[in-house]
Amino acid sequence: MDFGIILPLLVFFPMVGAILVYLIGRKNKEARNNLACVVTFLVLLGAVLLFGKHASFTIPGFCGLGLHFDGDELRVVMAILTSFIWFMTTVFSKEYFALYRNRNRYYFFLLMTLGATLGVFLSADLYTTFIFFEIMSFTSFVLVIHDESEAAIRAAHTYLGIAVIGGLITLTGLFMMYHMAGTLNIDALAEFVASQEEKKAIYAVGVLILVGFGAKAGLFPLHVWLPEAHPVAPAPASALLSCILTKSGVYGMLVLSCKLFLHDANWGNLILILGVITMVLGAVLAVFSIDLKRTLACSSLSQIGFIAVAIGMQGLLGSHNALAAGGTILHLVNHSLLKLVLFMSAGVVYMNLHRLHLNEIRGWGKDKPLLKFVFLMGVLGITGIPFWNGYISKTLIHESIVEYIEILHHAGQATTYMQTVEWLFLFSGGLTLAYMTKIFVAVFVETNPYPGNAAHHNEGPYMNRLSAIILVVCAVILPLLGALPQFTGEKIAEASYHFMGAHGPEHAVHYFAWVNLKGAVLSVVIGALVYFLFIRKVLMEKDDNGNMVYVDRWPKGLNLENKIYRPVLLSFLPFAGSLLARFVSTLTDGFVAVLRMLVFNDDSGRVVPPEDRYFSAYTDFDDKKVVYGEGFAKSLLMIGVGLAVAMLYILL
Amino acid sequence: MSGNTLLLLPVILPFIAGIIIGFMKNEKQRNRMVFVTLAVELALVAYFMMAEGTLTVWHMTNRLSIAYHIDGIAKFFACVITIIWFLAAIFSMEYMKHEHKPARFFMYYVMSLSALVSLCFSANMMTMYLSYEFMTLLTFPLVIHTQEPQAVRAGMKYLGYSIFGAGLGLFGFFFLNTYCITTTFEPGGTLNFALVAGNEMLLLFVFFLMAVGFGCKAGMFPLHAWLPTAHPVAPSPASAVLSGIITKGGVICIIRVTFYLFGADFIRGSWAQTALLSLTLITIFMGSMLAYKEKILKKRLAYSTVSQVSYVLFGLMLLTPVGFAGALLQVAFHAMAKNILFLSAGAIIYKKGTTLVNQLRGIGKEMPIVMWCFTIASLSLVGIPPTGGFISKWFLAQGALSSSLGTFAVVGVAILMVSALLTAGYLLSIVTNGFFPGNDFNYESLEKKEPNYLMTIPLVILSVAVVLLGIFPASLETFIISISGVIF
Repeated sequence: MDFGIILPLLVFFPMVGAILVYLIGRKNKEARNNLACVVTFLVLLGAVLLFGKHASFTIPGFCGLGLHFDGDELRVVMAILTSFIWFMTTVFSKEYFALYRNRNRYYFFLLMTLGATLGVFLSADLYTTFIFFEIMSFTSFVLVIHDESEAAIRAAHTYLGIAVIGGLITLTGLFMMYHMAGTLNIDALAEFVASQEEKKAIYAVGVLILVGFGAKAGLFPLHVWLPEAHPVAPAPASALLSCILTKSGVYGMLVLSCKLFLHDANWGNLILILGVITMVLGAVLAVFSIDLKRTLACSSLSQIGFIAVAIGMQGLLGSHNALAAGGTILHLVNHSLLKLVLFMSAGVVYMNLHRLHLNEIRGWGKDKPLLKFVFLMGVLGITGIPFWNGYISKTLIHESIVEYIEILHHAGQATTYMQTVEWLFLFSGGLTLAYMTKIFVAVFVETNPYPGNAAHHNEGPYMNRLSAIILVVCAVILPLLGALPQFTGEKIAEASYHFMGAHGPEHAVHYFAWVNLKGAVLSVVIGALVYFLFIRKVLMEKDDNGNMVYVDRWPKGLNLENKIYRPVLLSFLPFAGSLLARFVSTLTDGFVAVLRMLVFNDDSGRVVPPEDRYFSAYTDFDDKKVVYGEGFAKSLLMIGVGLAVAMLYILL
Repeated sequence: MSGNTLLLLPVILPFIAGIIIGFMKNEKQRNRMVFVTLAVELALVAYFMMAEGTLTVWHMTNRLSIAYHIDGIAKFFACVITIIWFLAAIFSMEYMKHEHKPARFFMYYVMSLSALVSLCFSANMMTMYLSYEFMTLLTFPLVIHTQEPQAVRAGMKYLGYSIFGAGLGLFGFFFLNTYCITTTFEPGGTLNFALVAGNEMLLLFVFFLMAVGFGCKAGMFPLHAWLPTAHPVAPSPASAVLSGIITKGGVICIIRVTFYLFGADFIRGSWAQTALLSLTLITIFMGSMLAYKEKILKKRLAYSTVSQVSYVLFGLMLLTPVGFAGALLQVAFHAMAKNILFLSAGAIIYKKGTTLVNQLRGIGKEMPIVMWCFTIASLSLVGIPPTGGFISKWFLAQGALSSSLGTFAVVGVAILMVSALLTAGYLLSIVTNGFFPGNDFNYESLEKKEPNYLMTIPLVILSVAVVLLGIFPASLETFIISISGVIF
């Protein structure tokens, strides 16, 4: 059987499903919710079917250059991950959205986005990638803005703005790439880039292409939309944004780093630096945040930074990059699963309280053991505690950095730079622990000194059985992946080596040996120090009644978006541009006005065109305000007539 | 008269029918007449899509004649023009109910089509010039239709600029009559190089002036100023065709002059090419920027036209086959998208009477079909896949990069991108405000204001076409490449 046909089906079936769901939703809401779940489940089945089949499919002439899909292992892993998470969130949406307006719209765009996202992950050429990437940006915009609160509208506009700018810059890069290479097929491009001696132009084009993908992934300095947009979206949508949509950006980075610039140290370095900045920045922002979902969003930022570091290490390590490659894909998968659990738990909180501020939701989860267990799994996973999945991938990434330091050491080169990276890596790991402890303690351990607003929602179960099952299933996967890496994670990693141009590691990694545990222990120590000495001392203070409350200590001025991007892009540049444009635009009219003053000036007495009451039909109008009135137009008319007469004269 | 006399039919039919329509008082009958005329016109053009033919109507002198000829360019433009003219006419039937003197409007509306078809089919400079002037004169009443002082002034400005532009064209015609072997259009140009030798500079200057002159209709800087004044004051269906179609009249003339009289080889690499490219780029940026700042919806759309039609001219002036293909694709897709936008604006004015951009909050809830069409057209103008605008932008950029212009090409691509960003800024903001009014929006006061099928059907047809042709552009591409194959 030819499995190729499944590839376009995975992409277009959800889009067709979206239309069906919309139409049915106008008549019957329950049927719509169920149909959406069925559609996503079928997509999940299809994706699973593809595993190991290595199918490919082409639709020639689609949008000009045609669509090319490929189903190699990494792409299928991404597709399975995507459809799994989509299925879970769609099921979860049923309860979450029970009281929302515009649900038809939500489901329609939810499924559209699924199709587009799968299109990105399964694409075999950058043209296909780009087409679905753009569709995804626009359809997911609707998910972000869904609440239509003031904050949501603002954040969604930021999101759309950055998506459009990034998309256009990437498109520019693709224009140039296509012009240089004559193809956008990813494998062919890899060959083309490898065959080029002079790489300056290609680097430049690569950076252009990177902008759009990096922006979607949340890479510094285009990360600004992420901590704004993820918290304001409805929880299932934030889960999707964090788990999957950012990964589509990462996929683009992977294509660039593992195909076009395979084993390229310069490129690796660029990604590494951006990754390190994002990693640290996200973690610091998360520590300061006092909003549950914002903390999680900043945490996503930081974790994307970890992934970018791993991608950068692949480039630096060259052909010995199995550790980094494994770390990349595993952290990608792990982070998606972790954030799914965490965001859905946050969704449960929001669903009941309609609040996310730590002081307001404090202590709400204290007597809810199930939710506490689920959230705890997520916390342990993301902080990299041994036997949970985050530990495996973080260890691999850490190992790859250590390995590179050793290589440098053997070659007798300076290692300070890489050691700094290693320390920042461990430091960020520590901060992860600190901020996750902060929100876990706040929601599930502490007692709320002002339980007023949290109390009245307590009649009835806080979530229905279906949502509970979903949450528990997702949460149980995490320790499974972490405790048995040989049977789970390593298989995924091995499957992805082909795409990343990596070969298996020379020796098996002993995850639970002291060498590797050391890193985790260091991070835990740092995390504990930060939590007790910084978060509890500096980021909390006594309020008027003597109770400790969380306060926002992040300086208002330190906001890239509000202080630089928005003023420059929305005020300064349009002002300068429109000034210029207006000047240019009025040149002609101005010239006419000057002529009118000089030539048709009644006072100068030189040329006074006689007003002919019988010929000019429109002399009655007040023409003081216009640049020129009928007189000049009429004269032009006469010039035209004159020219016509001249022509006739020549002709006859 | 010699040749295929049938060719005269699509030119004469709307002219005569238009005069008759002007005297029809009964609205139903008149609408039926308009519909039948334009449908027959559509059928005639469809017939000529398959046919070839030449017709000489009248020999004025042995060098000058009124003659028609069908070639690829003629087919392409005639096809785009009649289809859109037909759809906009259906829309007008409803829209003109709230305007005065609908008979006069339809009279000139139908008659203008004859000038346009004549312009498409013209076989030589003489015919083209006459059609061009007729086009200006016949569309003038559409601009001043409301007869308000503002409209009349705008109309006069339109007339002034257009005739001045045409005058520049005529000026060039005098020279071409001497320096060309014949002023009948031939692919690749008809310059008499024995005479041209030594006078290249002069002829390049003449070319430059002609391009600027005809560029007036296409809204190219420096003769663009009439466009944002005249388009918004006309009734919406008229603005739609003025922006979507009449501007393309200038494009046809520039194509004929550049590729059929001077020849691309003569101009390629000259200062005239660089100068014109610079003018188009200035226009592209200026138009988008001013549209971004504009508060009146129809005026914003008019500035957008200034910018978008210059994409076409940019593509033409690249003088490469790919750029040319991009330009023609842009002609088709801009014509469709801009018609959707203006007709939507018309529907909004007709139903709600609002003209300002910031009054459109929540409009997507009131008129979902109209605003969905508006959204698709906006995405196409920005160039988001899978709409048609993406295809044309792809070709334009590839055309720019494949020309031998070096850094200039890169600057060109950069400006296209900046303009696309601004386009997103001035169109998508309307869409997001329209569909996402915010949760403080009063849903109770909401009432469905969807216009009737006469208005929505043309919009839906055009929107579907924009998307479908964007997804499956192969047939359109093949056709356009066959045209550019003849020229280059």
